[in-house]
Amino acid sequence: MIQCKTSKEIGGMGHSVKRKEDDRFVHGKGTYVDDIQLKGMLFMDIARSPYAYAKIKNINKDLAMAVDGVLAVITGKDLEQYNLHWMPTLMSDTQMVLPTDTVMHQGQEVAAIIATSREAARDGREALVPGIEYEVMKPIVDPFKALDDDAPLLRPDKEGQKDNQAWHWEVGQKEETEKIFAEADVVVKEQMHIPRIHVASIETCGIVADYDKVQNHLTTHLTTQAPHAIRTVIALVAGHVGLTEEKIRVIAHDIGGGFGGKVPVFPGYVIAIAATFLIGKPVKWIEDRSDNLTNSFARDYHITAEMAGTKDGKILASRMKVLADHGYTDGAANPSKFPTGMFSIGTGSYDYKHAFMEADAIYTNKPPGGVAYRCSFRVTEAVHAIERITDRFALEIGKDPAELRSENFIKKEDFPWQSPTGWEYDSGDYQAGLDLAMKTVEYDKLRVEQKAKWKEGKLMGIGLSTFTEIVGAGPSKDFDILGIKMFDSAEIRVHPTGKAIARFGTKSQGQGHETTYAQIIAEELGIPSKDIQIEEGDTDPAPYGLGTYASRSTPTAGAAAAIAARKLRDKAKKIAAYLLEVSEDDLEWEPGKWFVKGAPEKAKTIQELVFAAYTNHPQGMEGGFEATHYYDPPNLTFPSGAYICVVDIDPDTFEIKVRRFVAIDDAGHIINPMVAQGQVHGGLTQGIAPAMYEEIIYDEDGNALNGTLMDYLVPTAVESPNWETGHTVTPSPHHPIGAKGIGESPTVGAPPAIANAIIDALRPYGITHLDIPITPYKVFKALKEKGVLDKDITGFEA
Amino acid sequence: MEATITKNFSIDEPIEKVWAGISNPLEISGCVPGAEITEQVDENNYKGKVGLKFGPVKAKYDGQITIEQMDHDAHTMTLVGKGLDSKGKGSAEMTMNGAVVAEGDGANVDFKMVVNIQGTLAQFGARLINDVSAHLMDQFVDNFKKLLAGEEFNNNLKAGSVMGAAVKGLFSKKSD
Repeated sequence: MIQCKTSKEIGGMGHSVKRKEDDRFVHGKGTYVDDIQLKGMLFMDIARSPYAYAKIKNINKDLAMAVDGVLAVITGKDLEQYNLHWMPTLMSDTQMVLPTDTVMHQGQEVAAIIATSREAARDGREALVPGIEYEVMKPIVDPFKALDDDAPLLRPDKEGQKDNQAWHWEVGQKEETEKIFAEADVVVKEQMHIPRIHVASIETCGIVADYDKVQNHLTTHLTTQAPHAIRTVIALVAGHVGLTEEKIRVIAHDIGGGFGGKVPVFPGYVIAIAATFLIGKPVKWIEDRSDNLTNSFARDYHITAEMAGTKDGKILASRMKVLADHGYTDGAANPSKFPTGMFSIGTGSYDYKHAFMEADAIYTNKPPGGVAYRCSFRVTEAVHAIERITDRFALEIGKDPAELRSENFIKKEDFPWQSPTGWEYDSGDYQAGLDLAMKTVEYDKLRVEQKAKWKEGKLMGIGLSTFTEIVGAGPSKDFDILGIKMFDSAEIRVHPTGKAIARFGTKSQGQGHETTYAQIIAEELGIPSKDIQIEEGDTDPAPYGLGTYASRSTPTAGAAAAIAARKLRDKAKKIAAYLLEVSEDDLEWEPGKWFVKGAPEKAKTIQELVFAAYTNHPQGMEGGFEATHYYDPPNLTFPSGAYICVVDIDPDTFEIKVRRFVAIDDAGHIINPMVAQGQVHGGLTQGIAPAMYEEIIYDEDGNALNGTLMDYLVPTAVESPNWETGHTVTPSPHHPIGAKGIGESPTVGAPPAIANAIIDALRPYGITHLDIPITPYKVFKALKEKGVLDKDITGFEA
Repeated sequence: MEATITKNFSIDEPIEKVWAGISNPLEISGCVPGAEITEQVDENNYKGKVGLKFGPVKAKYDGQITIEQMDHDAHTMTLVGKGLDSKGKGSAEMTMNGAVVAEGDGANVDFKMVVNIQGTLAQFGARLINDVSAHLMDQFVDNFKKLLAGEEFNNNLKAGSVMGAAVKGLFSKKSD
């Protein structure tokens, strides 16, 4: 299926080139923030609130100052003197850096301790915590109670805020949709919770902030997926104390997992920057595991999903109503104009004309966040809702869920396709994906086996998810973060000897950019990918860009690389015409060289042409061989996938075993099949995580009950089934290399396939929905409630 | 996080002797594993400490106990205790209702405690509190019986045993 235009030596697109970055990782030579050691460096730790909602009555700094090595204790009152106690979030909400009077969630930063060693800072924290006196108040934990009349107003600091609603959003055709629902033969409805989970990257957040008083220059070594955007944010927050943007350098070194959790600006970063600015020495802060797990989150959408259709299985309309629990501030990192991110992709892969969606965001006494965990801004939530309710609809009318999907798919020839919520899907061939998935898994045989298993009282289920993703944010007419348009950039410099360095505004956190970007340039320019050095993450040398998240790097920066390389190929053509003494029109390109049409022996290699650009270029031509491009995508890209999951549930212990998982992805043209497959494997594992294991649980007082990796189960190879992957290729028509982005599809597509499979296994017993994570205990409880466990699970006639 | 702990036990001692022991905070506190009264503030108010250790997690609450109600005729009492973890990890509140009734020559004691733990300790407490408190209660009853019988006992808390009880509790649940 994948055809390569370049030789293996050139290693362009489609070659499974080994990852360049792996050499340093397998040799233990990666550089993470915590590896940075600077002369005279101080260490910071942060004392946090044990309560979810409380007034701070007193902070006795002396307790920490008495600890050997502690140099300073910084509180909200201290930052208030510099107007640094609040900061804007990326969603134009406001967040405390440190509180002056009220704490809003358990684990919130209350005071920072600066010391000469990490141990002393921790001792200072331990000493300080008992010296913080609180007046504990009753928190709002349940978002459904946040709008009650007797609920306390959580954000009186916000002007005009009269209740605990942050915002309301809606899209679609409200009246027409209501009419269809009122008249439809079949209407199905389920209440779903997509639980609060954590990206749980192995590396926590951290910073080394290094302010040089003499030069008035700040360098921050930072765990960030978006170094350039962060530089701008620091300048916006701290410009008034003299830190303007040209005086700020942000360096993101190797990152031990980002997944969206390292896009926001966290209070710890700002406090460390304030500390180095005031003290004039480098300050290191590395968040500990529990602090990391309990201070940000992804998801947490309560969704009422409905679908209307005909008895014979034609989908007519869908409706979704969301209650979004944002914690005490909207700390998401969506494009400004999209408070629910790309949730409006939730009409899925299906051809119907009417939909209505609305969302209400609610403040509660929980940590802020709503970050896009390996998902292009709330797409996981949307896909889960549409894929679950589609299955529910199939169940209601007694139609096979694969057949129902096939009958309702948007057809290959109907692209570009206008969705009822305003998107223009670029391309797709959903049936081809589903056909391949069904063939691979042997779907029909499985359904026969299932019927036999049910008769024996065995619990076996088959679940599908045929999703459409929406990635590559985004076109500048609609997409910005804090006003900055979401284009991205590439700058290529080819040295006289034909070797190159290319720099980008994005930042890999494991995606393999050092390999794949080089392959894109190799594809376009014919310089072997091994000869191209890729550099990202340092704002001083790299061109501006908005970073890596939302599967946007290939759709934006990857496109920029291709176009910049094409500019250079054009320049090479001019030089070739000059050297070969022919007209440009007489030249033909083959990866790695320009040659005269009909006379392939008259050729100049790209290396010769580059050398000439420095040594023997035509008069009047600019010397050197460099190009930069800032790519503004004309549209988003719409990857898709067809996933099928087969589960067996133990009728005694209710242990859920994923027997098979087939994932067919369509991400357009694939740059490196091996890297793409690695992305899919990781993403699928992060897909079983919320489906079966992960959820941050709070009690009624707002205590996080599973704030360690002992209690919060992150699946590893032990829990992972054997992933069977494959792909179909439907190129994006508007992307220069036809690529769509792959990083997030598996995380988005896997949870509903697993949930649908488990619920399919329980279908004989009247179970129509279970919220994720679906644990053995949840299955046991559901069967118990249906009275099934009073008798044995045996003999269901399908 | 709120938990309700109940304990009912019979004791071969006359009701008046049992009540006298139970209604005296200075004596009774000596039977509570890990607890001590440090100061009597006035007739109804005492200051004290309770230490708990769940494996690697330690909590030491400094707090106050108030006798809200004490009926020497009906043999009923209500105590309210409030404490702050000395490491700043949160607070705990406890309301205890106790009643003693005659049972033949002996007495029957009935306790109901509602405990509310706030703060980071709730993380561990949620799953352990019932098993651990059942174990502590057993130890308390043993101590109390020894107190009335004039036998020697100590109220040291054995961390291993508490953790062991919790682990045993977890495993016994699985086989339910």
